[in-house]
Amino acid sequence: MSFDGLAQRALDTAAGRGSRYTDIRFDVARSERIEVRNGVVAALADGTSSGYGIRALVDGTWGFAAGSEMTDTAIDTVAARAVAMAKAAASIARNPLGAAPAHAYVDVFKAPMVRDPATVPLGERVALLLEAERLLHVGDEIAVGRAWIDLWRTDKIFYSSIGSRIEQQLHQTGSGIAAMAVGDGDAQTRSFPGDIGLYMTGGWEVVERARLRENAARIGEEARALLKAPQCPSGTFDIILGGSQVSLQIHESCGHPAELDRVMGWEANFSGTSFLEIAQLDKLQYGSANVTIEIDNRLPGGMATCGYDDEGTKSGKSDIVRNGILVGYESSNDTARAIGRESNGCVRAQSWEFVPMIRMCNLNLLPGDVPFENLFDDVKDGIYMESNRSWSIDDRRLNFQFGCEIGWEVKNGKRGRMLKNPTYAGMTPAFWNACDAIGDRFSWFPWGTPNCGKGEPMQIGRTTQAAAPARFRNIAVGVGYGV
Amino acid sequence: MESKAREELATRTLGHSDADRTEVLVSYDNSALTRFSHENVHQNVASEDAIVSVRAILGGRTGVAQTNRTDDASIREVVDRATEMAKLAPSDAAQPDLPHGGPTQTPPGAYVEATARADAQTRAALCDAFFRVAERDRLWSAGYAATSARGYTVANTNGVLASFDGTTAGINIKMSAADATGFAESASTDVRVVDAEAAAETAARKARETSKPQSVDPGLWTVILEPPAFAELLAYLGSHFSAQAYDEGSSFASGELGKTVFGENVSLHDDYAHPLALDAPFDFEGAPTKRLPLLENGAVRNVVTDSYWAHKLDMDNTGHALPAPNAYGPQPRNLVMLPGTKTTEELIASTKRGILISRLWYVRTVDQRQAIVTGMTRDGTYLIEDGKLAGGVRNLRFNQSILEALKHCELGLDLHRSTTYHYSIVTPAIKIENFAFSSTTVF
Repeated sequence: MSFDGLAQRALDTAAGRGSRYTDIRFDVARSERIEVRNGVVAALADGTSSGYGIRALVDGTWGFAAGSEMTDTAIDTVAARAVAMAKAAASIARNPLGAAPAHAYVDVFKAPMVRDPATVPLGERVALLLEAERLLHVGDEIAVGRAWIDLWRTDKIFYSSIGSRIEQQLHQTGSGIAAMAVGDGDAQTRSFPGDIGLYMTGGWEVVERARLRENAARIGEEARALLKAPQCPSGTFDIILGGSQVSLQIHESCGHPAELDRVMGWEANFSGTSFLEIAQLDKLQYGSANVTIEIDNRLPGGMATCGYDDEGTKSGKSDIVRNGILVGYESSNDTARAIGRESNGCVRAQSWEFVPMIRMCNLNLLPGDVPFENLFDDVKDGIYMESNRSWSIDDRRLNFQFGCEIGWEVKNGKRGRMLKNPTYAGMTPAFWNACDAIGDRFSWFPWGTPNCGKGEPMQIGRTTQAAAPARFRNIAVGVGYGV
Repeated sequence: MESKAREELATRTLGHSDADRTEVLVSYDNSALTRFSHENVHQNVASEDAIVSVRAILGGRTGVAQTNRTDDASIREVVDRATEMAKLAPSDAAQPDLPHGGPTQTPPGAYVEATARADAQTRAALCDAFFRVAERDRLWSAGYAATSARGYTVANTNGVLASFDGTTAGINIKMSAADATGFAESASTDVRVVDAEAAAETAARKARETSKPQSVDPGLWTVILEPPAFAELLAYLGSHFSAQAYDEGSSFASGELGKTVFGENVSLHDDYAHPLALDAPFDFEGAPTKRLPLLENGAVRNVVTDSYWAHKLDMDNTGHALPAPNAYGPQPRNLVMLPGTKTTEELIASTKRGILISRLWYVRTVDQRQAIVTGMTRDGTYLIEDGKLAGGVRNLRFNQSILEALKHCELGLDLHRSTTYHYSIVTPAIKIENFAFSSTTVF
């Protein structure tokens, strides 16, 4: 794949119209979605989308325009539009912050993949889902069974006016199952793996790893049992969260507030701001000493794994929370420079149509040293919860309330009866400071999220928060039912 | 891409298909948005794209393929891909015929040339109006000004050829003081009626009036939700009116058709032709969309269908299909809550002690069947005492059944279109008794 001629034309056109720095990113994206619902293939769809987005910098202000027509005339028009957008923005800017990236790279990156999904016959892909979905129906109470596969392949090339030419190929794959049981005026859902399925960078091996058929009957039985399970009690309890729920907790209460554009107010009108203020850097006791959260954008299997981000910054590792202390942010060139640091490569665009912006990448809670089964030790009266069902947090990312699909009583270190509608709530720093144990590396897993929303126009991001199950002391449980 | 070009493309695409039945959806979008914070534009973006989606049906087997390349080779390829997928799909005995269409009329004013032609300078002028108010009041602003022109054409082998073109213009402004924030928004099909100065003044006033917020105890409160806040709640009720959710039992309306479940003052319609909605008169299968009462005087009157669910449940097709493939079922696209009789000021004046809410945030379902949702207040939360606004309060988390809320409510007079969603939600303000707050936050 080469767009060298069109790219050079775009860079020249933009420069001729006054852009001090320009980059252009070509994307060719293929997607496939198969969804089986109650024995019927409700979705069998294949899509291709290709185009390019151009960023131009004029007087410290960015403009962005995107188009799909691959002709000289169209490239000229879109490049000129990007410059016009930058000039219009510059005409009203009070204190422009935009600055050109400092480093140029010429490189090729291909994310590792074991088996290309294209080599698996479509009939085989559909048959797997039909069987897994059928196995969910363990009784008449199962009103809805679902099974799905998502396949994505993205080829992209980034060119910049300071000499970058970065070619990347990414394969991302996901699949899952869910059963909804209905009865006595109630509806209860169980999902697997996690709450949205297993999503990773990779090929067909990700679908095989999900083991949908092997777990379908258990998931159906749990959905049915939840209809008759007692309500989770309200009160203050020690809680143990399953790995996928810890992943979501990181996502909402660390991943989003540590986005530096949000900290600087760029998301204020929509996604909100952040309690992780710049003055708190290297000081704030974000969590207990057990809590270390780092970015690793080369993590094997991570949904945000890539060689370079979408403004041409090389991927690597960096710290956000080290032994409980806030030490960093997810950043872009502009925002990092504003606080005297360098970008840590967290800029992504959903596709060619969208402007690159700071997105949560692979942001992981490092494992502890407690085997999963020992997390229950010395819990006298607690609740174990798995699989997210509801999530909400205030617009500075402090006051949160999450609900899970399923819970179990924990009495004197032993897991007991099943509970339905478990919820818990708290304030972010207090919650992470109440974390006194994290599961070991054998229970640590790169949980991927394919649908993280941010920005206006809204962009959907793919991200991973690797996590192990973890224990938290004295947490408010049962919020939302009877208040 | 104008409707004539879309229709030519759709017809050309159909001509390449030898499936038993074929549907082609050509959608076009030319959108731009200027986004700012601290009186700087940090994102000024524009994009243009046309997408061709083909649904091929062979007996009861269906395949869908999509491309954004419109040359003849790409069109032939996308038709072939859809057909190949259909050949490999299992047969669905419930798969009905494609719609035959019918007469429709696009509501006047859905497409406004001035909005379609709005450029970066037009949006910059709107933003500059925000900046000047922020600077005058020593606040900082964040928000956007957006314009778009969108169109879609549906064609199928039953003779449907239907096109819709529409425009949207929206502004969204948050003003921030040291310890308080205020919000305002405006949306229309016509960029010339979007009043940035008025929105900036409203947001600035709210930020000033709610500074030095006090804490109040959570618990059961009388609340007044201004329209943007009520729209956030109502969005979570919309999917309950899908025939799919109704049939599968995840909707509160399951088994309740014809029954009175809310107060007599509650009437909710789905109406693409409402003057504040102005949307397409047909759905993404080309079936005419009916203007429907979903709730009428508190009673559940209708759920919405598409060709699949109308056939399956032996109901009329109300024309509420989403683009294929669609596992979510038919959905309402233009919710309109009919107004009451009191202005927001009169609702406040009739409240002894309560809370006025400008906007909600991160609303999520806690319990599907009971329609319990949680979320936070934000950007202008006031205490009401003795019928008057009495300063700001720190934001609160609620856990509230929407069903219970609509049993004990009073609706405002003035309707407003929310900018939050791609589809429109038109609501008045609402006063709700015994609204359940569970906790507070620190700002």
